Amino acid sequence: MNTKNVVETLIDCRGVWKIFGDRAPAAMQAYRERGLTKTQILQEYGCVVGVSNVNLQVRRGEIFCIMGLSGSGKSTLIRLLNRLIVPSSGEILIKGRDIAQLDAAALREVRAKHIGMVFQSVALLPHRTVLENAAFGLEVQGLSKAKRHEVAGRALAKVGLSDWANRYPAELSGGMQQRVGLARAIASDPEVILMDEPFSALDPLIRRQLQDEFRELTKSLGKSAVFITHDLEEAIRIGDRIAIMKDGVIIQEGTAEDIVLNPADDYVVEFVAGISRLHLVKAHSIMQPLAQYSARHPHEDPERLQYAAPESDLDSLINLLIRSGHDAVGVRENGTLLGVISQRDLLRAVQGVRDDESHAQTRTSVEGLV
Amino acid sequence: MNPEGFASTFDEHVDNALIWLSDNAAGLFDLFNDLLKALYQAVYTVLEVPPFYAVALLFALLAWRVAGWRFALGTFLALLMCALMGLWPQTMSTLALVLTATSLALLIGIPCGVAAGLSPALNRLCDPAMDLVQTLPPYIYLLPAIALLGYGTGTALVATVIVAVPPVLRLTALGIRMTPKAFLELGNASGTTGWQQFVKIRLPFAMPSIMTGINQSLMMAFGMVVIAGIVGSGGLGEVIYSAIRTLDIARSINAAIAIVILTLILDRLAQSGIRTAEEARHDAH
Repeated sequence: MNTKNVVETLIDCRGVWKIFGDRAPAAMQAYRERGLTKTQILQEYGCVVGVSNVNLQVRRGEIFCIMGLSGSGKSTLIRLLNRLIVPSSGEILIKGRDIAQLDAAALREVRAKHIGMVFQSVALLPHRTVLENAAFGLEVQGLSKAKRHEVAGRALAKVGLSDWANRYPAELSGGMQQRVGLARAIASDPEVILMDEPFSALDPLIRRQLQDEFRELTKSLGKSAVFITHDLEEAIRIGDRIAIMKDGVIIQEGTAEDIVLNPADDYVVEFVAGISRLHLVKAHSIMQPLAQYSARHPHEDPERLQYAAPESDLDSLINLLIRSGHDAVGVRENGTLLGVISQRDLLRAVQGVRDDESHAQTRTSVEGLV
Repeated sequence: MNPEGFASTFDEHVDNALIWLSDNAAGLFDLFNDLLKALYQAVYTVLEVPPFYAVALLFALLAWRVAGWRFALGTFLALLMCALMGLWPQTMSTLALVLTATSLALLIGIPCGVAAGLSPALNRLCDPAMDLVQTLPPYIYLLPAIALLGYGTGTALVATVIVAVPPVLRLTALGIRMTPKAFLELGNASGTTGWQQFVKIRLPFAMPSIMTGINQSLMMAFGMVVIAGIVGSGGLGEVIYSAIRTLDIARSINAAIAIVILTLILDRLAQSGIRTAEEARHDAH
């Protein structure tokens, strides 16, 4: 961790806008000059704002999830990154180069070699074999047949489909087809893979399996990814960082724990409500200070409690508590007792509710003692 | 303005234009006519020179390859029947006309269809033109052709080509236009050039539609070639036309049977051929 002093930014979006409609340039101008709202832009210019003033950075080696419901602009945003859609305003830098400045050949080269893409519809060419599909990107780059089939074969092996190389897409299940889509994207060895809701159409079990495989594969190959999804649980499972989009705007960006523990607004709160906290919430964010615990339990010696590390998640804390036979666990780092988590704290944390009552009670009892 | 006067002025202009064309560009039209005739003659020679049973056998072999032995046997017997009716040279002449006209129609229709499929503006131009060609009675095309090229094979070929172009042009344009959006996106995201996008993505998806267009053009050509009997196309069309004029009903029925046989064989061959080609693409590995 400490050796990585400089984190390289692969994709950098600065103030990116996309307005759809015949009068988009005029609408963009009007926004700049008069600061119109989205509704005003729609009323005055008949234009729809797809993406509104988005700033985001994707760093080397990270999986960046963009979560939003349909119509939130997430699919538009991901298409802006490889210029399948041209932004109305703002800059998009790929490895420091503004892609708006590239000529047609340079743009093709960036798409062919630096940014892979996987689609929700998979888009496997039906009249080509699995191997030929996986080799499509390399074929476009003009590699010889032998060479591209060799490389594509290795990519297929990475997604576990070597045995299916000479079959046709129609013979494969949905999950396998999406694996081919992924193999096609990684065969060209791009730094970034754009994933446009790739697993949305799959059934839940296959989806979870692919999520785990995807994360593992991306990490082991050292790739970065931008992953679009409408499912917050998927974003949490896969993403290192998550951005939540609504009406074309990114309303919150952060790690899964950030978002679950500190939702930015009521909209995010609603999403977060159904999310299991078992693997997200860590001991350090729910423990009570040592003094507080001692004040409430003067006869207990917190040093005798079983203890966990500050980074332990709720799941392991519950296991520890049950095994220990006590009704609280300690949190230690480097031998020092930092705090205590009671059974009550743990239950409230699983619910996702702040235990205000107990805080209030302890506060009064502490005050009473002083 | 007097409407009749207007009509006669208009007619006069058309007449004058045709006369001017045949006066001033006669050499050009003669050359064109000779070219068409030579083309037809080449195809006809290939079909006419070998004995009838050899040609029938060849067709049966082709039929066996694409559609199995039942169809092959049927093809052989049916072609034999054409010969027994004493209509073998005429049957081959009609076949040569159809093949020549269809080839020319494809040569024009497919590239134009591709262009129309790629360019919405061009398609807006092509669509009403094709509508016009398809709604006018096919006889119409014989008139200007006969005025410029004269009685004979050339006129028959030109009229037939005009009628045979629209189906393949339209279905090619449709196929090219209908490429699924997701695949165009795949092409763009993979960094394809315009040509790669066309060859690797648009064309394969358009293939079934283009094939259907080819088959329909073939059938249109058949219909027209028979009508073109009036302008001295030769072949079965002319047999029917002269039989009608002399009320020789038996002979006209014979010729009609020969036409049905030829149409059925070619239609079935084309359709099975398309299917075999599709399967071959799938079994390429």
